[in-house]
Amino acid sequence: MVRTPAFQAAFFSLVMITDMGFADRDPLERIDQRFTPSATSEKPSFQRHVVPLLGRLGCNGRACHGSFQGRGGFRLSLFGYDFAEDHAALIDQDHGRINRENTVDSLILTKPTNADRHEGGLRFPKNGWEYRVLYQWISQGAHHVAPPQKLIQLKIAPAEISFRSADETTNLQVTAHWEDGTQEDVTPLCRFKSNDEQICQVDREGCVTAGSSGDTHVVVSYDKLVVPVPVLRPVTDLVESRYPQIETPTRIDQLVAAKLRKLGIVPSAQAGDAEFLRRLRLDMTGSLPSVPEIEAFLANPDPHKRSHKIETLLKSPEHAAWWTTKLCDFTGNNDQQLNNSSPIGNRASRDWYEWILKRVTDNVPYDQLVEGIATATSRSPGQSYTEYCEQMSKIYREGKSYSETTGLAYYWARQDFRELEARAIGFAYCFMGIRIQCAQCHKHPFDKWTKDDFHQFKNFFARVNYARNGSSPQSKDEYRQLLATLGMEGKKGAQLRKALPKMLQEGKTIPFPEAFVTKRPIRQKKNNDDNYPVFEHAKLLGGDIVEIENGSDPRITVMNWLRAPENPFFARAFVNRVWASYFHRGIVEPADDLSLANPPVNESLLDYLAKGFIDSNFDMQWIHRTITNSATYQRSWIPNKTNQSDRKNFSHTIPRRLPAEVAYDAVLLATAADAEMESLHQDLTGRAITIPGTGQRDRQPGSPTYALRVFGRSTRDTNCDCDRSSAPSLLQTVFLQNDRDLLNLIDVRSGSWLNEIALEINPERAAQGKQSPKKINRLRKQIGKTRKELKTLKQQTESAEEIGRVEKRLQNLQHQLTALSPSQSSKQKINLATEQLRKLIRTAYLRTVSRPPAETEIVRAERHLLESADTLDGIRDLMWALINTKEFIVNH
Amino acid sequence: MAIHQSCDGIARRDFLRCGALGFGALGGPGLSLASYLRLNAAGQVHEATAKQGIFIHLQGGPSHLDTFDMKPDAPTEYRGTFNPIETAVPGMQITEHLPKIAQCADKLVLLRGVTHTLGAHRLGSEYVNTGTRPLPSLEYPGFGSVVAKETAPWNAGDLPAFVSIPQNGHQKPGFLGIQYAALSTGGAPKAGTPFRVRGVNLAGGLTIQEVEKRQNLRNDLDIAFQSIQQEDPLLAGLDRFSQQAHAIITSRRSRDAFDISQESPHFTKPFGESAFGLSCLLATRLVASGVRFVSMQMGGWDTHQNNFSRLKDDKLPTLDEGLAALLIGLEQKGLLESTAVYVTGEFGRTPKINSKSSEGGRDHYPRCMFMLLAGGGMRGGQVIGQSDDKATLPAHEDQAFSPDDVAATFYHALGIDHAKEYHTTTGRPVMIVREGKVIPAVFA
Repeated sequence: MVRTPAFQAAFFSLVMITDMGFADRDPLERIDQRFTPSATSEKPSFQRHVVPLLGRLGCNGRACHGSFQGRGGFRLSLFGYDFAEDHAALIDQDHGRINRENTVDSLILTKPTNADRHEGGLRFPKNGWEYRVLYQWISQGAHHVAPPQKLIQLKIAPAEISFRSADETTNLQVTAHWEDGTQEDVTPLCRFKSNDEQICQVDREGCVTAGSSGDTHVVVSYDKLVVPVPVLRPVTDLVESRYPQIETPTRIDQLVAAKLRKLGIVPSAQAGDAEFLRRLRLDMTGSLPSVPEIEAFLANPDPHKRSHKIETLLKSPEHAAWWTTKLCDFTGNNDQQLNNSSPIGNRASRDWYEWILKRVTDNVPYDQLVEGIATATSRSPGQSYTEYCEQMSKIYREGKSYSETTGLAYYWARQDFRELEARAIGFAYCFMGIRIQCAQCHKHPFDKWTKDDFHQFKNFFARVNYARNGSSPQSKDEYRQLLATLGMEGKKGAQLRKALPKMLQEGKTIPFPEAFVTKRPIRQKKNNDDNYPVFEHAKLLGGDIVEIENGSDPRITVMNWLRAPENPFFARAFVNRVWASYFHRGIVEPADDLSLANPPVNESLLDYLAKGFIDSNFDMQWIHRTITNSATYQRSWIPNKTNQSDRKNFSHTIPRRLPAEVAYDAVLLATAADAEMESLHQDLTGRAITIPGTGQRDRQPGSPTYALRVFGRSTRDTNCDCDRSSAPSLLQTVFLQNDRDLLNLIDVRSGSWLNEIALEINPERAAQGKQSPKKINRLRKQIGKTRKELKTLKQQTESAEEIGRVEKRLQNLQHQLTALSPSQSSKQKINLATEQLRKLIRTAYLRTVSRPPAETEIVRAERHLLESADTLDGIRDLMWALINTKEFIVNH
Repeated sequence: MAIHQSCDGIARRDFLRCGALGFGALGGPGLSLASYLRLNAAGQVHEATAKQGIFIHLQGGPSHLDTFDMKPDAPTEYRGTFNPIETAVPGMQITEHLPKIAQCADKLVLLRGVTHTLGAHRLGSEYVNTGTRPLPSLEYPGFGSVVAKETAPWNAGDLPAFVSIPQNGHQKPGFLGIQYAALSTGGAPKAGTPFRVRGVNLAGGLTIQEVEKRQNLRNDLDIAFQSIQQEDPLLAGLDRFSQQAHAIITSRRSRDAFDISQESPHFTKPFGESAFGLSCLLATRLVASGVRFVSMQMGGWDTHQNNFSRLKDDKLPTLDEGLAALLIGLEQKGLLESTAVYVTGEFGRTPKINSKSSEGGRDHYPRCMFMLLAGGGMRGGQVIGQSDDKATLPAHEDQAFSPDDVAATFYHALGIDHAKEYHTTTGRPVMIVREGKVIPAVFA
């Protein structure tokens, strides 16, 4: 390993300000004051002055010369930092950007001063300081010294800004500290940007003006560094000493309160028990609480019942299933991407799910779970290819769980992982919560990553491969042998896929695809980027250079780097995602964008959680427990005057729409018969939180696929937490109000609560007794078979008549199935007495919004029931109405 | 000057987030100043007449040689068995199996020699449905979703902005988000049976009165968040969509829009009884009712085997009847000028006939294909572009159009600047159509 300065020195440099040994030297004064008309003989530096100046003037922006096509025959690297390329573009003699014979005729002087036609208009006046900097650089030879010097730190004064009133202003002063010990006031060369223009604005000179109250950051960029400066204006005058006493029972609460105290925001009161239970259940287990559970919880006088509940739920199968679903989102468990990665269709995504499920259930430390994915190979050490195939054949044949295998090799089977770039992007997204894709083509505009950083990092993944059709090259003989034994010699692709599953069932050992470590790194070169170098080594982001040519799997180096306590991404990314799933946003938001320009809203809170997580030995339950036990998590959604406009400092609960699977399951649970509850809550039969992959192919009637799509289940296809949508839409409300699947779930059907009521009070309207589920099942099977038959037929024949016959049969079966659902119009109408009605109304409320109804609500519901032709119709309407309230579809 | 000030253009992701609920929709409908200036500079400003659009995807990829780009003089192994016929436009010849379309060729802009390189169904489909080559890292939105977004906030209340028949197909909302997804009908209308749309038609036995009663109950019970529901963007959004859903379900106008039985038999007859024909009828009716965009799919064009009998006996007569009726129907209703129509497969088919079946077939071929545009202020009755003598490549490089160009042209007809930028949730600026150029001849 070649050592480079430890990455954390750069990363945490913001904190370590003056003790670098050169603080006593005075920084160079501002460039605009050095390059006055009275002239200076100073020679500007290409890296320190010229390129930042071009950046600040907007020349290398994407709408101007930073565009990949360039503009007006002149191209600069987007957002700078490709010094060699930019220098070459500037000195290119054919284009006259600089004119060595006659400096004043250089196009980079005549165009921005509008002396020559310039689409970008006037950028600076002739003889202004910018002009003189460029002029002097050209006239002194237009040099560039490679390699780039290292910018250690950007020191900004003030380090944070507190405003008291609107329109107040503060000037930022930025000092650059270079590796060689020199310092310079670079304020006129920086780019400034406000992360929220409502709260403050910043001009080109770094002058910050206060806007409305609240907090945000001004982001300062210079060279490769990006530094956020907190800006805050209190919301009320209840700050510091005037701030009221509030309870802060946990460390989280203290850290949240510390920020609220600066802002003058008083948090909301604690939520009531019913509100707490519903919120916790939905967030932690993706499920609604059951009616007996609510009743018992509300009646329990134990002051510690909330903590006890948290412990119970952490051990529940629902928590494991829901968090497995989330981890499948992050890791990208997508059926389409796993096509043909296993000899048994669709098995890969299920294996993936079960592999993670087992580890969440056993609460395996997070770093070990990730290690099993990040460094996975299909074979365990020393295992031969044949032994591996025997093991897999056995697992598949005997319906055993794949979860016992040490590594989740399917992660590396993702079809979108064929290119090294995609692996690096996916890996960084998944385990580090950062978006390095920008740096694939240009300097990251919101972070310090350069193109070189990206293309060196990707090389860590250059020695893993997935042999979709066969084995690793080293085991080709074994593979061929195995095929020969099966009498399938020389057969390939589709022929094998067709034959092998059958042979597996016959007890034979079939070949399996495998993820393996290659001997030599895979080299890929993009033909559209011919001038860009190919790196022979890998480099950790902000860290060491690592040889990858020989020796062990370079992924192990990445894994060890990730799990080291000082790693700035690994623990933070995960705790932030967990936090985001318990609140409406992450401490860093979006939760998968831990970039310098997107700082945490509460740095010390994120630090505390990340450190605690590491100290707990990456105990995932520790984070869930710590967050949910805090007063901050347990606050009411009801705002007060001071916090009503706060949406990011966690002073009250913000309502958020239920995630797709949770929404679907909520309808399922709310409408299910009491007798079904056990299997829904414990075995999770039919629950959306147990669907392993993205499941696009499932088109069975009554399947949740449609609903899940409408509610924005994660598509797991672009390495973004935003693949899951929590936005409301018209299709969702149409679904809730009028979709046949939803109405059917509510209605009298076998297994529904309404059916249970019907059996009790009006058996004539109940779904037909006990044999009907069997009959329904049989019909469903027949329908499935007929569908398949139809499909095959359509491939084999063109005969409309033959197809028509089967279609007719299918229709007939479907009609029979519909007929088994009870009729809407029953002869007998039965109405219950008031006492019974009130009891049903109470249950309906507990089932849906998980709280007892208020008296006014009971009266209103009762009036509806009494006006209904029949109690069953009335209850059905009530359930429909409750499911269509906002209170039902949001967590609050 | 002003527009240049933002040259550096680092856009923050918050930009999209404010618009995520559909309130502060970026830019709003029509041209932004910057877009206008850009088009103006390019000499392309032309008053867009289309307010609505229809996109028809011929799934599977229709053979260009056997339909709209015939080569009667090519060798037998290319030519195929069909003969060309004259159309209403002198000099424009198409296959003999599209006689009705030939009669209304004056409404068609026929693009020949359109070319690209994606020969797989999914990739090709995503390409022609979005106007941008699919990227693994980003899902581009289809035409309908872009129109829905540009139309937002949608105020027609009881009608959705974007309807797809029968499925969404490849018209996906992509990075714009599910709030711009199509309302999918879930099926095509069938002759003689009332047409039901998933989620829109009332469930069996329910009456409007019952729905209203139920809705009143809901309104009375949905009071938990009364104190904050005006300010909270999620709650306000849920309320708005809820009202809209209720309006769609209960309004006469929306049910009527989907009820093709209300058209006169005289108007209905030319559409025939095929699923495609009736879908065209439904599309006509939806557009007439005010739906902004309708997408349709017609499958079965993947003729690797028995190319000729499948085209002649099934696909072509169905397309002929439906598409001709659609164009004439739109014209009769006075909607053709204000409705831009775009018909395309995901690629053409191999010029050389294969021998996988007794009569031969044609395989995937993206390098040369045809596309159709009509209505919406585009000048019908012309052929643009040309393929070489065996229909293997565009004949002239300077007239080689890509799906990007046709998409840009289609957007242009719809009054949407195809070069407008959206910001994805990662803060990345993305143009609606990344690389297309409007084809001026379409409007000339």
